[in-house]
Amino acid sequence: MADDREGTAVKKQKKFFISNTITLVMVLIAMFIFFSLASRHFLSTYNILSMVSNLSFMGIVAAVLTMVMISGEIDFSIGGNIGLTSVVAAILIEGGVPGILVVAICLVMGCAIGVFNGFLVTVVGVNSIIATVGTMSVWRGLAYTFSDGRSVLAIDPVIDFLGRGSVFNIPFPIILFVIVFAISYVVMNLSKWGRKIYSIGVNPMASFLSGINVKQVKFLAFVFCGLAAALGGLILTSLSMVGMPQHGQGLELTIISAILLGGTALGGGKGQILGTLTGILILSVLYNGLTMLDVYYYHVQIAQGAVLIAVVATYEVRQKRLQQ
Amino acid sequence: MEKINKTFPGVVALDDVSIDLRKGEVLGILGENGAGKSTLIKILAGTYQKNSGKIEIDGKVVEFKNPAEAMSEGIRVIYQELNTLENLTVAENIFLGEQELKKSFPIINWRKMIKESRRILGQLKMDINPNTVMEDLAVSEKQVVEIAKAISKRAKILVMDEPTAALSEEDKDSLFEIIKTLKDSGVSIIYISHRLKEMFEITDRITVLRDGRKIDTVETKKSNDNQLVTMMVGRDISEMYPKRKVPIGEVLMKVKNLKAEGIKDVSFELRRGEILGIFGLLGSGKTHLVKALFGANPITGGEVYLNDEKVSIKKPWQARDNSIGLVPVDRKMEGLALMLGVKENITLANIKDLGKGFLIKKSLEAEKAKKWISSLGISTPSINQEVNSLSGGNQQKVVLARWLETGSKVIILNEPTRGIDVGSKVEIYKLMQDLCEKGAAVIMISSELPEILSISDRILVISAGKINCEFGTDEATEEKLMQTACIR
Repeated sequence: MADDREGTAVKKQKKFFISNTITLVMVLIAMFIFFSLASRHFLSTYNILSMVSNLSFMGIVAAVLTMVMISGEIDFSIGGNIGLTSVVAAILIEGGVPGILVVAICLVMGCAIGVFNGFLVTVVGVNSIIATVGTMSVWRGLAYTFSDGRSVLAIDPVIDFLGRGSVFNIPFPIILFVIVFAISYVVMNLSKWGRKIYSIGVNPMASFLSGINVKQVKFLAFVFCGLAAALGGLILTSLSMVGMPQHGQGLELTIISAILLGGTALGGGKGQILGTLTGILILSVLYNGLTMLDVYYYHVQIAQGAVLIAVVATYEVRQKRLQQ
Repeated sequence: MEKINKTFPGVVALDDVSIDLRKGEVLGILGENGAGKSTLIKILAGTYQKNSGKIEIDGKVVEFKNPAEAMSEGIRVIYQELNTLENLTVAENIFLGEQELKKSFPIINWRKMIKESRRILGQLKMDINPNTVMEDLAVSEKQVVEIAKAISKRAKILVMDEPTAALSEEDKDSLFEIIKTLKDSGVSIIYISHRLKEMFEITDRITVLRDGRKIDTVETKKSNDNQLVTMMVGRDISEMYPKRKVPIGEVLMKVKNLKAEGIKDVSFELRRGEILGIFGLLGSGKTHLVKALFGANPITGGEVYLNDEKVSIKKPWQARDNSIGLVPVDRKMEGLALMLGVKENITLANIKDLGKGFLIKKSLEAEKAKKWISSLGISTPSINQEVNSLSGGNQQKVVLARWLETGSKVIILNEPTRGIDVGSKVEIYKLMQDLCEKGAAVIMISSELPEILSISDRILVISAGKINCEFGTDEATEEKLMQTACIR
């Protein structure tokens, strides 16, 4: 008897898990079909490639932030990090520093930013929402200070290639995007470190009492996140050809929305890299498609918010039903 | 309460349980951990919702959606863990959420509240000043405040869940005096415990639960120890606590003058093949001791030796690397990552051995998981099943499997059989002895007297952060352990 019951429970669980991801992909496909029919330009190679290039830098940050969020923490300072990186890169280029060195410096700075966030959260013990909302404003302020509030032209062969170059006709940012997602997928689904991230997110105390160095794992996740945001900042600088302190403003919320849309839980322990990928794609297709249809920008924002709430509400309702 | 059913994911907690309570009587509910006592009470108190069945009070069918509704029917519950607010006064705690306002102006009528508190405490024959702050009271006094709180508004039914868990012998006697006073004033009392002796002292009738079913209700006067035990565990005592002779070897672990948070001075030796029982009441420092030994709490003094070598254990991973394993007291909060699978939980402490380099070799992990599932007899539909849906006994085996997989030689189990069914208990005891036969050693912290008396090779009694006494199994009795545990 007991075995029967457990058996059906498993079946239900599997169905639930698949249908959650599948629903999301179906929403994406439905949107895709709708916009292809509604707008002649939507399905053009040019539009698709530019859309994916534009989402690539967000996607890179989202993939890594997903790790931080599954571990039960959050990083709001990614937007500020992007702004600061972009300004520093442009200023260095303006000062005649060779492009490859600029990239190296910016990536190291990204790591340093991650180290600082990680230090605040794991060593000092500040709640990660508070710590990174604080540092968000610090990085942004530094970006304004260094640039004196102006936009700095950033033209350099290496930087240009990052955002606008292509290999075999595939835009380079898309290649970077795919690489980062592939690495994140392997790390989270197949690696020992990824296993630790999940277990910490599910139960930090049990993980600690099983000999997992919880603080060290979280610290490293913050460092990776800083690094990814710096890479995103460099790509955005290249795409826009300027370093601007406003770069990445508000982006943290868009990225976190995409991650939540993809099924990651705010409290940690639950989430999938592929879910985040779908989430980013849904938000981008929605934005791009509605813009193509000449929908007013303000209304596009309303639509994005509504989709986020609708999807997450569905998760909750399903979860409740499953528990009953 | 009639034919109450309650299921949780994967377990039937209550199966057609009916009880009846008469006015002014003390009804004992007796059962092992996991028999369904607490679940039944939580349904009566409105904390859980029943799946089916009905509750009648004075011939009227009632339906409780939340604790407030149960309270308004005069049902009051005193839980095992005290729910007092430490930084408020006694009077504030008694009238928490029900403070009376002055008639003239909507502010709290302090004078009346304090007067009422005095009256109620007097009725309970306790001399406590209502203006004392809770944290200055002893545990037993706090419990009296809880009772005062429960009867401050007319209580028809008072439920006490393991009220003596933290009490000394004398405190227990005064608690029983209070219960008798209440009973005489017409309050019906449900008294929950797994301690037989108390049942005979205080109850009028006893209902025995086992594995979520009601076995029977008997008149206390017409019953005896043996009858109740057989009803409670469903088998003979000797089968309940199987004990094998395991040869005891050399000293494996030596702890010398250990000091840490809540631990004043602890020294002991642990030998290969031995089960060392540590007995202590709530707040004796037993859980602090476990945490200090495992590196989860900082050690402030003293030394720990493993195989005659001094080791420094400051963090749990150092404990693990020194072959120490811990089965914590709270499985759900400290032991398991509930949303992960059986497999992930078994390998949790030994992720590094799941393959060469950076990646996990899935086939290797599955093989390891299957090995422990079959050798420990973990009942699960698959290695990927969420541990959340397993029964308490199987969950406990998963935690134990984790340390076997890690190759631990010293395994510390804190209340190893709390909240698990009788059958699993027996299996856990057997597994502990299997470990000892294979050359490991076990430290078992327990507050279950029969368990610690029957399974241990040696018993230490801890109280106020110090080891008070050591007993061999032949000299130890329930009375001796309780007496030494109460010395401060």
